[in-house]
Amino acid sequence: MNRADALDKTLRQMYAVISFPEGGEPDWEGMKAVFHPQAQLTRVTPEGIDHFDLQSFQAMATEMLDRGVYTAFFEQEIARREHTFGSLAHVLSAYETKRSPEAASCLARGVNSIQLLWEGASWRVLSLLWDEAMPGNPFDLKQLFAAEVSCG
Amino acid sequence: MARVHKFRISSTRSNDLVCRSMAAAEAKGTMMRRAGHYCGRFLELDGRMLRNFGTCSYLGLDQHPELRQAAIAAVEEYGTQFSISRAYLECALYQGLENNLEKMTGQPTLVAPSTTLAHMAALPVLVRDNDAVVIDQFAHASLHAATELLRDVPVHLVRHSRLDQIDELLQKLSICYERIWLVVDGLYSMFGDFAPFEGLGALLDRWPQLHLYVDDAHATGWLGTHGRGGALMQLGQHNLHQHKRVVVALSLNKSFAAAGGALALPDAELKVRIRRCGGPMLFSGPIQPPMLGAAVASSKLHLRAEHSATQAQLMQRIDYALAAAAQAGLPLATHHRTPVFFIPCDSVDEATNEVQWLINEGFYVCPSAFPAVPVNRPGVRFTITLHNELEDIDALIEAARARGHTCGACPNVEATKWGLIPSKA
Repeated sequence: MNRADALDKTLRQMYAVISFPEGGEPDWEGMKAVFHPQAQLTRVTPEGIDHFDLQSFQAMATEMLDRGVYTAFFEQEIARREHTFGSLAHVLSAYETKRSPEAASCLARGVNSIQLLWEGASWRVLSLLWDEAMPGNPFDLKQLFAAEVSCG
Repeated sequence: MARVHKFRISSTRSNDLVCRSMAAAEAKGTMMRRAGHYCGRFLELDGRMLRNFGTCSYLGLDQHPELRQAAIAAVEEYGTQFSISRAYLECALYQGLENNLEKMTGQPTLVAPSTTLAHMAALPVLVRDNDAVVIDQFAHASLHAATELLRDVPVHLVRHSRLDQIDELLQKLSICYERIWLVVDGLYSMFGDFAPFEGLGALLDRWPQLHLYVDDAHATGWLGTHGRGGALMQLGQHNLHQHKRVVVALSLNKSFAAAGGALALPDAELKVRIRRCGGPMLFSGPIQPPMLGAAVASSKLHLRAEHSATQAQLMQRIDYALAAAAQAGLPLATHHRTPVFFIPCDSVDEATNEVQWLINEGFYVCPSAFPAVPVNRPGVRFTITLHNELEDIDALIEAARARGHTCGACPNVEATKWGLIPSKA
C-alpha cells in the first residue's frame, strides 16, 4: 500500500474507532492502533479548551458515557485537505456528527486538525485538535476547502 | 467518598454548557415561556389557546371540583401558610393524608415537602456507613442530587436499565459492602420507559444485600391499585421477602394533582427514623394548607372504587395514541404503555422546528435536548392525559404526520435500535 492510501486508511479508521452505536463505546483498542502512544487530543469548546492524552481522553469519554451525555456517537468525514512532507502529514478534516449513520441531518459539524507520523508501515495520529461550528463560528465548507472538496 | 468519577468534569464548565443550551432554546422561544390562561385541556401562549400535550397531570385531576373545593376549604380553615417546621408542629391535615396514603400504598408512608426533598430526606438516612450505591444514569436529576449528599459511601453510575452491568457491579460490591442500594426511576420521564421490574425482582432474589430505591413520581396515581404506581405493584408488599428491601418515592405533584411527595417504606420504624432525622423533614417548609387540602381530597378519590375506571380511561387514551402513532408511521422512542411519548429527531434544530410548527398548529408540546436527554437523542416530548379528548389526539398525530417524517428513521428501525419492550396486550 502506498503512503497516500495508507493515510486514507488511517483517517477512515480514526473516524471508525471513535464512533459507536447505542449501548456501545469507542473502540479503545482500535484507538491505540490508530493513535500514537504520545498522541495529544485537544478539544475547543465555548466553555474552555481541554488537553488529553489517550488515557485521559478515554477516562473523559467513559465518564460522559456513564453520565448519559452520549449514548451513541457517529462522526463522519465530509471533506479533507492533506499536506504531506516526508514522514509528516497534516490533514484538515471537516466532519459532522449524527445520531445514526442514516440520520438525515446532523447533530453538529466541525473541523479536525490532524497531525500524523509515518512509522515505516503506517501512519498514526500524533495530534488531534478540533473545534465545532457555533453561532459566531460558522461552518463554511467552500471557504475552508475551496476547490479541494472531496467526500470522505 | 461519594461519586466514583472516572474523570472530573468541572461543575462550572457543566453549568456553563447547560446555560448555553438553555439560552439557545430560550432564544428560539421553546423553553422558559410563560402561559396565560390555563384550564387543563387548553393553555394560552402568546395570546393563542393551544391544546395541552405538555402536562404531567395525567388523570386531569388538577381541575377536579373536589380538589378545588378542598383547597379553598383548607385556606378558609388554616390560611395560606402554616409556617411552622414539622419538627415542632404540623398542620392537622397531615394525619388524614398519611393515613389515606398508607391505604393507597399498603405500606407505612411518610409525606415530604416534595419528591426531591423526599429523596434528600430519605437517602442519607437509609444509606448507612458500610453501604454502597449504584444509580441509573437516567435516574431523575433529583436522585443524582440526593446521592451527592452521601459523602461517606461510594456512588457508582450504571448505564440505563443495564441489568447485566448492575449484576456485575453487585458481584464486586457485595464483597466489601454490607448493603448495596440501587437507585432508579420507576417510569423514566423523558422517553416514557418503565424500569425493568421483572429483572430487578430477579436481582433482589439473587442478591440479598441489594436494596432498591425507586422514584415512581411519574407512575403515581394513574397506575396500580389506588394509584400506588408500578414499582409497588411489581415489587411491593405482596412480594413478601422483597418488599422489605424496597423503598418507593411517590409524587403528589403530578397525576395526584396536589403538592408534595411521599415515601412508601417497608416498616414503620424506618418511617419514624426518616421523620425524625431526614434533613428536609426538619428544616424545609411544610406543604401549604391549600395544597394539603387538595392532597387529602385527591387521596380520597384514589381510594374510591371508581378510581380504577378513571385509570382505565387514561389507559384507553394511551393505547389510542400508540395505535394512532403506529398507523401514521410516527417513530416513537419507546412503546411502553405510559402517558409519556417521545418523537426522536436527528438534531436539536429539527426538534425545535417541529415544536415551533406544532405550536403554530395549535398544540403545546415540549422540545427535548441536552441536558434533559443525551446529546445524541433530541426530540419532541408530549404527554397524553385525561385532559385530551380523542379528537385532540387525532389532531396532534395528524399534524405530526402531515409535517413529514424528517425525524428519525422508520418506526421499526427505531424499535430495534433502542431495544424496545413491546406493550403487553
